[in-house]
Amino acid sequence: MTTADGAWRAGADGDGQGDGAAPEGWEAPRERWLSTVVRPAFGPRSVLLEIVARLLIPAILTFSVFLLLSGHDRPGGGFVGGLVASMAYVLRYVAGGRHELAAGLPMRPNGLLALGLLVACGTAGAPLLFGRPILETFSFSTVLPVFGTVKFASFLLFDIGVFLIVVGLVLSVVAALGARMEAEEEEARVRRPRREGGR
Amino acid sequence: MNLLLVIPFLVPLVGAAVTLLLRRTPRAQQAASVLVLAAVVVDAALLLAKTAGGTVATSQAGAWEAPLGITIVADALSALLVLVSSVVLLVVLLYAIGQDIGGLSRAMPQVFHPIYLVLTAGVCLSFLAGDLFNLFVGFEVMLTASYALITQAPTRARVRASMIYTVVSLTSSILFLTGVALVYGLTGTVNMADIAEKLGAAPEELRMVLALLFLVVFGIKSALVPMHFWLPDSYPVAITRISAIFAALLTKVAVYAIIRSQTLLFGRDDISAVLLWMAIATMIVGILGALVQDDINRVVAFTLVSHIGYMIFGLGLNTVAGIAGVVIYLVHHIVVQASLFLVNGLIRQYVGHTSLRAVRGLTTVSPALALFFLLPAMSLAGLPPMSGFVAKVALFKAGIEAGGWLVYLGVVAGVLTSLLTLMAIFRIWVRGFWGTPMPDMVEARAQLRSGSSRAGLRFTTAMTGVMVGVGITVAVMAGPLTDIAFTAARELLDPSAYIDAVLQKGPS
Repeated sequence: MTTADGAWRAGADGDGQGDGAAPEGWEAPRERWLSTVVRPAFGPRSVLLEIVARLLIPAILTFSVFLLLSGHDRPGGGFVGGLVASMAYVLRYVAGGRHELAAGLPMRPNGLLALGLLVACGTAGAPLLFGRPILETFSFSTVLPVFGTVKFASFLLFDIGVFLIVVGLVLSVVAALGARMEAEEEEARVRRPRREGGR
Repeated sequence: MNLLLVIPFLVPLVGAAVTLLLRRTPRAQQAASVLVLAAVVVDAALLLAKTAGGTVATSQAGAWEAPLGITIVADALSALLVLVSSVVLLVVLLYAIGQDIGGLSRAMPQVFHPIYLVLTAGVCLSFLAGDLFNLFVGFEVMLTASYALITQAPTRARVRASMIYTVVSLTSSILFLTGVALVYGLTGTVNMADIAEKLGAAPEELRMVLALLFLVVFGIKSALVPMHFWLPDSYPVAITRISAIFAALLTKVAVYAIIRSQTLLFGRDDISAVLLWMAIATMIVGILGALVQDDINRVVAFTLVSHIGYMIFGLGLNTVAGIAGVVIYLVHHIVVQASLFLVNGLIRQYVGHTSLRAVRGLTTVSPALALFFLLPAMSLAGLPPMSGFVAKVALFKAGIEAGGWLVYLGVVAGVLTSLLTLMAIFRIWVRGFWGTPMPDMVEARAQLRSGSSRAGLRFTTAMTGVMVGVGITVAVMAGPLTDIAFTAARELLDPSAYIDAVLQKGPS
């Protein structure tokens, strides 16, 4: 977080309430914009950021799926899609801290990584069972009611694997660098409450 | 054929995913890792049986034709190296498991297993890659895994060493990528067989520059003098299992890449003289470094640098006999370096450290340890009847056959280096193994004997013995090994079989 946030927090801590309560004269927001209510360790809650995150995350995730699907013969693909999707989670982490990040994930980052690797390797190796070289793609086209002619390729599965690997990897990095630091910060705060004068 | 070529890198990747999921059950994780590596060993043996006669196995990934798609290729050299590497990887893994069972290491097994398997995949992919870019990918997979492995059980010294290691490796990776781009700009292809055909039409100077660029790239990674400074600073600092694998394999993958790129891609005699000079410098500078070190691990690391010179010397000869000598030397050196680093790990385990200032009387502390050190060390120095003797004789014989003053100079440097290696080893032997042991060493040993980690320690010692045994097997199998080495050398110097196998439709 920036120094501006630090200064703001120093003011908040200074009035003796601490723990991110709103300063005098502020109406604390009652709406919950994120799924957890634990405030992030670095700086106070930022309602603005929470709202933006709430609004943007579905759009970002949808866009990442679009990139994943369109990637077969247009710009996009699993790698780019995965990066975009992980940015949604990073935004959620910045807005809500590590508890919010954990609440938004179906499994731990390591699990995502392993699952992605399994899916990708499985798809790459599946043609071997039919005596074909690795990574060979099978595709067929079909006509769907709304979308028109749609081409399905087995390569999409591989891309989904890549997508999961990228998301898992980025989140592992966030977990290892950001979240652990945050946990340590919280621990330090429990040990030494009421540090006057902010940082 | 498709299956055989793909298993060495695909199965370890699947294994990495599985071991990542099995984090909470150490026993299952260990079993999965061992099974994966055993599968790779079996597969590599089958692959070698297929290619030892001189056939080149290929598989075109995605069924795209050769110059366009990714080709996986195995000739005798690749298959042999995959086999030796996977055997060494398996034994070191068992050693690591022994340490974990005994609680003898501060490494995190749940992290170690997945990354170790990724490293395996990277090493195998590098050996089997048929195009330059895939070779780069194999290198990167291997190096990325190694960045994570070198900081296992982090201490201040390890983090410092890994910084040097990472920065140097990344620099050479950038140069590698630049080289690939330049080759692509010049020939319009990254398939190595295709490049070999098209690069002949390129201007002589450009070819020379590219050859030198790739020599620098792989020279950094294989620690050729004057690009060796990073190795003795980083390898010995890592935990035993890691430094053993790094010393045994990582530099050898780079040597393999030098052999492949300088024989297949670039002209014949262009840079033979450069190679010979570098070989002589590497041998002498490396071994002189080894003579002044005070830590057993660092002595061994400097001999590693020094003995890379022998392989480059053989390559510089540019004859079938010379390159066959290199192949034998590669196999011998992979196994011997792994054994020596494992023994050093045992010494550290038994008595707490490996500094020659504070270690004395190791023969009294553990006779088995002394034997396990002496056998590979003698092999490294090239005493008969060990594998080092076979390899060195093959190289020197090839050198004398080739003739020329520079080559004779190289042979003299090689013999001198052998003698100095012997001296470095005797230094360790006299100072570290003879005499009465220090009281703190006896105490550490006694504590270990009565401790709860006995079973793990016994297993670890046994695995070191197995690695030494593999080294002896290499010497016993010298006959068949020489046959395979000569087949590989002939294929390397006359790459038409390789090129035909890759560019015509594969047998799939």
